[in-house]
This record gives sequence, structure tokens and C-alpha cells, in this order.
Amino acid sequence: MSEKHNITNIKKRIDRIEDILAAVAAGDLDARINSETEDDLSGIEAAIDLLIDDLTDELKQREKMQKEVEDKLSKIQEQQKTIVQQQEDLLELSSPVSKVWDNVLILPVIGTLDSQRTQIMMENLLEKIVETGCTISILDITGVPTVDTQVANHLLKTVTSARLLGAECIISGISPAIAQTIVHLGIDLSSIKTKATLQDAMIFAMRQNKRTDDIKLQSLYINPNEKEE
Amino acid sequence: MKIDLHEKRIPIIKIGNYLIVSIQVDMHDKLAIQLQSQILDEIEKTGAKGVLIDISVLEMVDSFIGRMLSGMASMASIMDTAVVIVGMQPAVAITLVELGLEMPGVDTALNMENGMEMLEKRLREEDNETFESH
Repeated sequence: MSEKHNITNIKKRIDRIEDILAAVAAGDLDARINSETEDDLSGIEAAIDLLIDDLTDELKQREKMQKEVEDKLSKIQEQQKTIVQQQEDLLELSSPVSKVWDNVLILPVIGTLDSQRTQIMMENLLEKIVETGCTISILDITGVPTVDTQVANHLLKTVTSARLLGAECIISGISPAIAQTIVHLGIDLSSIKTKATLQDAMIFAMRQNKRTDDIKLQSLYINPNEKEE
Repeated sequence: MKIDLHEKRIPIIKIGNYLIVSIQVDMHDKLAIQLQSQILDEIEKTGAKGVLIDISVLEMVDSFIGRMLSGMASMASIMDTAVVIVGMQPAVAITLVELGLEMPGVDTALNMENGMEMLEKRLREEDNETFESH
């Protein structure tokens, strides 16, 4: 009788273990067996309880880590956005074209040139030439540390495009290092007007201006004479 | 001037010693070839000393039109007439340079006024040269 009772008791306890495990599997991490009796089975029950405890800890830790990672990711994404924004700002800021005198535009270039930047620079300069009607523009590259083939090519393109519009483009401030690289790379800049310093370029531009002004004056004075003849 | 009703014609205006050609329509290849011979004929007929071609309205210039324009400049220069291309748009200039059509030997000007000045200057220089050589 007591044996039968024992067996039903054990069956009940096994059922309970099963229930608890099912509950844990379903996600209820607070479920425990909490057996009060002391026998062979209670060891197993205690072990299962311990396992569930470990599992709970592990899961909690994982959740925490996941949250941290997500936080960091969003932070990084925000920083990325700022960087992109700043890059765009820098691109716009880094190529100002200003009119310094009648008919004279200056584009000072500072920092390393890449193709994207040169492209924007070139577009800005050409737009400005058309907008202001200035026929002389000075491209000052004093602030450019190095020049490679690609950049030299872009500079050439800028000058040629400006010429196609009907404006003259002078490059000033070529440093010894840049001069060396350009010659070593075998790039022919002979078709481009180059001046040592921005000052020289300005003087050249003013002279050019004066020449056109002289011609204007001449045409004013010559025309009446021609009529007299 | 012959009037052909089936073809669009680009007007060529003569002012003083100069011819003014203002391209106001999109150029296609046939029109470009026609314009080229039209301008050369007009140069012969009027004895113009300079041609101003205004392309400020042209938003798209392909390699063919570019070659036509530079070709026309050299043809006209053999006929002792200077050609100035006027008012090219920045985008067009960039495209031409990217295409490798840098048009060496072709004079360009920002606008009609500058172009006219350029022609006057050149004519005066030529006059001076002939005067000095005599």
C-alpha cells in the first residue's frame, strides 16, 4: 500500500517537474520546483532549479548586452550622420569664389584636392564666371600640399573649361614640391598661364584689365577720326 | 537668301563687318551641317571679317556639334574671318572638356559684348600689322 502510494507520489513529482520545465520552455523564468522532501529525486529537482537559475541569469545578461549594443549602434549612426553633414558643409565651404576686382575672380584652394572636390570647385567657378561676367579668374593653389596626376588633370580641365566659356584662368602659388611632381609626372602645363604668387597673378590680371580698358578708350577716340577721314 | 519651308533655318544677321549667328533651337546633326555651309556661304557673299556664334541657349552640345563648331572656326579662319563662340554654358564646357574636345584655336567669349570687343581688337591688330608692313 505504501509502495503504491510512493509510486503515485513520485509520479506526481515527475509530473510537476515536467510542468515546470514546460513553463520555463514557454518563457516563465520564475517557475521553480522548490521541493521540500529529502530523497533521491529531490537532488534532481534541486539540480533542475539550479539550471533554471543559470538560464535566467544568462538570458538577462544577454538582453542587457543586446540593449547596450543597440545603444552604441544608434550612437554610431548619429555620429555618421554628423560626419556626412560636416563633409557636405566642408565641400561647400572649401571652394569659395570671390570677385576681388573689376573683371577678376579669385578661387583660393586650401587642403588636399580629390576628384569630387575639384568637380564641385570647377562647377562653382564656371557658374560664377557666367554669373559675374568676369573674364579673368585666378586659381590660387598655395594651400595645396601635393598634386598627383588626377588632380593636375582636374586643374587642366578647369582651365580649359573656363577658356571655352571665354574666360582666362591663371594658376598661382605652385610650390617647388608641386612643380617637381608635375614635371616628373610628365604633365604639360605650358598651355596654362602660371604665376609664382597670388600677387603676381593679381598684377597680371590688372594689366590685362588695363589693356582691355585701353582698347575701349582707343575705340572711343579712333572712331570719330575715322569718320573725319 | 533662299527660303526653304521644309527646313528650319538659323538666321544669320550681318552688322557692319560682322555676322551674328544666334542658335536658338536644339541642334541636330543635319541642321549643324547646314548651318556650317550656310555661314561659310554668307562669309563669302558679305566679305565679313568676323563671325559671332551665340550658343547661350544650347543646353546640350554633343561631340558632333562640338567638332562642327571647331571645324567651322578653322574653315572660316582660312577664309580670313575670325570666329568667336559666345556664351557657352558651364555644363556644356565641362561636357566638351570631358569628351576631349578642348577646341584649341577657337576664340570664346562670355557674352556678345566681350565677343564683339575681341573681334574689334583682333581686326585692329591686323590693321596695324598690315600698316606696319607697308
